[in-house]
Amino acid sequence: MLNLSTPMPIEERLKAISNYAVIFALVVIVAGFAIAAPSFLTGANLYNLILNNVVMLAIVAIAMTIVVSSGGIDLSVGVSVDMASMAFIMLLKAGVFVGTALFAGIGAALVVGLINAILITRLRISPFLATLGILFIGQSVQKIASGGGKPVYLANAKFAPTFNAIVKSEVLGIPTPMLILAAIAIAVYVLLHKSVFGRYIRALGAQPGVAWYSGIRVPFHTSLVYIIAAGLCGVTGILLSSTVKSYVPLSGDGYLLDAIGACFIGTTISAQRRPSVLGTLIGVLLLAVTRNGLLLVGWNFYWQQVGIGLLVFAVLALSFGLRGRGH
Amino acid sequence: MTMTIAAETAAKPARARGALRRQGTLVLRLGALAMFALIMAWFAFTTRGFVSPANIFNVIEQTAVMGVLSFGMAVVLIGGGTDVQTGGIDLSIAANTGLCAAVYATLLAGGSGDLAAAAAAIGTGIAVGLLNAFAVVRLGILPLLATLAVMNIVAGLELTVTENQVIGANSTVTQLIATGRFLGLSVLAWIFILFSALMTWAIHYSRIGLRLYAVGGHPEAARAAGINVGAYVAGTYAFSGFCAGFAAILLVARLSASTTATGQLLLAILAAALLGTVFSRRFVPTAGGTILSTLFIGFLANGFQLSNVSYYWVNGVQGVLILMVVAVTTFAKPQGK
Repeated sequence: MLNLSTPMPIEERLKAISNYAVIFALVVIVAGFAIAAPSFLTGANLYNLILNNVVMLAIVAIAMTIVVSSGGIDLSVGVSVDMASMAFIMLLKAGVFVGTALFAGIGAALVVGLINAILITRLRISPFLATLGILFIGQSVQKIASGGGKPVYLANAKFAPTFNAIVKSEVLGIPTPMLILAAIAIAVYVLLHKSVFGRYIRALGAQPGVAWYSGIRVPFHTSLVYIIAAGLCGVTGILLSSTVKSYVPLSGDGYLLDAIGACFIGTTISAQRRPSVLGTLIGVLLLAVTRNGLLLVGWNFYWQQVGIGLLVFAVLALSFGLRGRGH
Repeated sequence: MTMTIAAETAAKPARARGALRRQGTLVLRLGALAMFALIMAWFAFTTRGFVSPANIFNVIEQTAVMGVLSFGMAVVLIGGGTDVQTGGIDLSIAANTGLCAAVYATLLAGGSGDLAAAAAAIGTGIAVGLLNAFAVVRLGILPLLATLAVMNIVAGLELTVTENQVIGANSTVTQLIATGRFLGLSVLAWIFILFSALMTWAIHYSRIGLRLYAVGGHPEAARAAGINVGAYVAGTYAFSGFCAGFAAILLVARLSASTTATGQLLLAILAAALLGTVFSRRFVPTAGGTILSTLFIGFLANGFQLSNVSYYWVNGVQGVLILMVVAVTTFAKPQGK
């Protein structure tokens, strides 16, 4: 809603500040943990934090950002992650060449995206219900394939070099997973914010009716959104299974709420409350840093959850509250 | 927004498919109902004991907890609108139920009176609901986000109360709810039937319900008509909190304990409340739709159990059927989203 009344300087200034609330909170939290937990701001901790907690969640959250930009939501991100992980690990176990297994893994995730796309654009089911249905089906498929949820371990030495090449290797001194994240973040940033395709997607999210009138091929672009998102989640699936050297059924589900949270926390840095890649990355950092910091400070798992909830609540209250009523 | 879509539909060239669709609208509108009936008929013919009165009331009994929670979610959806991203939603309802159950069971196990424990459980639920209401209405946070944060807080609090243990609880009231019978029906079945009747009246035949639809459908118009929109939206979250507390009491009574997995009910509750919208003409949550979809999900699970389908398949087939019901019905809708 546009504010048509005469602009009031203080209110405007508060609104401007509200866009930076989440960045401000991130800085305060990092500083707070740096003081409270001496081991927090060490190279080793930050390195592990980013490698183990940030990269995989960030990729899923970026996928969610594309979908949310188009006005939809994807509750089946965890299924895409798990399908990629399952195909990758099971094919490796069957003795298939690594490259083929990699492609099959990403391919399995793309299939999930394709099904979502068909449900949403052809059968015209709302994104929420379509992806919720796929989430249920995906969980079932995994239980059936894994005999009720038994993990598939590939811990023997034969596969160690493969996994190490994916997650432990470095290019120019930078770990490969970080490079993958950087490449994805930049690619999606360009796609979403600098390309015609991105403009169409954001038009779909802002004004679906107008987008249709403008001659944008709505079903085509919507389909691509869900397929690209699922493919990105597939990358996380490969990284995840290479890190834990196994396929653990339903392990992707854990990313869902964090990805939604990070994406929508990220919307608070934009004046129009739109999702963006940068905002999402800040959201991911906020969640990951808090979880890691609370652990180092010595809070147990239960209180960590309360702490994260309270923190997110406080950031949102600050961001939305300073801005005045949202709707 | 609504106007653009209406204009767009009118402007769309009437293709053959469009004409067919108009003719078939009435039939297809009942598509969800037909699917529901078809699946029930299939179970009735293939599964022994499915249609016996004992089994039917057994399912109604099992569905009571889900039914109360689905109504809580449905009311939030009615008051906040069903937009995917910005509409009303309460992601904290399942976690809230877990916390209320933990409070209730802990107090009963600690020797508190029935009345005090029940009051504490419902009070806890309403308190969490009011926190959601404050976040959504006062602070203007998106419901999806606000209730997600509250869900985390509440789930964490539940864990600190229970230390992730099952807490056994027994009292005269839980005994009465779990095993009591009245006029041939169990108390749980009565509770579900009476609660459904009360909600149907409140949503469709009372002034509050009519105004709530106005608030969710067109907040600006509702405000112009003199309705206190904020109070109504806040009320929906408080009510959903109350439902969490009430369902928690039923849950503890049925299991004689609080469980640690209550938070996982969230997706099933969402499915029931959203599936309910396809039973209505304008695709908004209704009391009838909510009751039907909750029973549908309950009967599905029961049918699978009776036909000895492995539980691995249950979620998946439920997912497929939900998609089919929604797809058949959505075909009758004039415009995609």
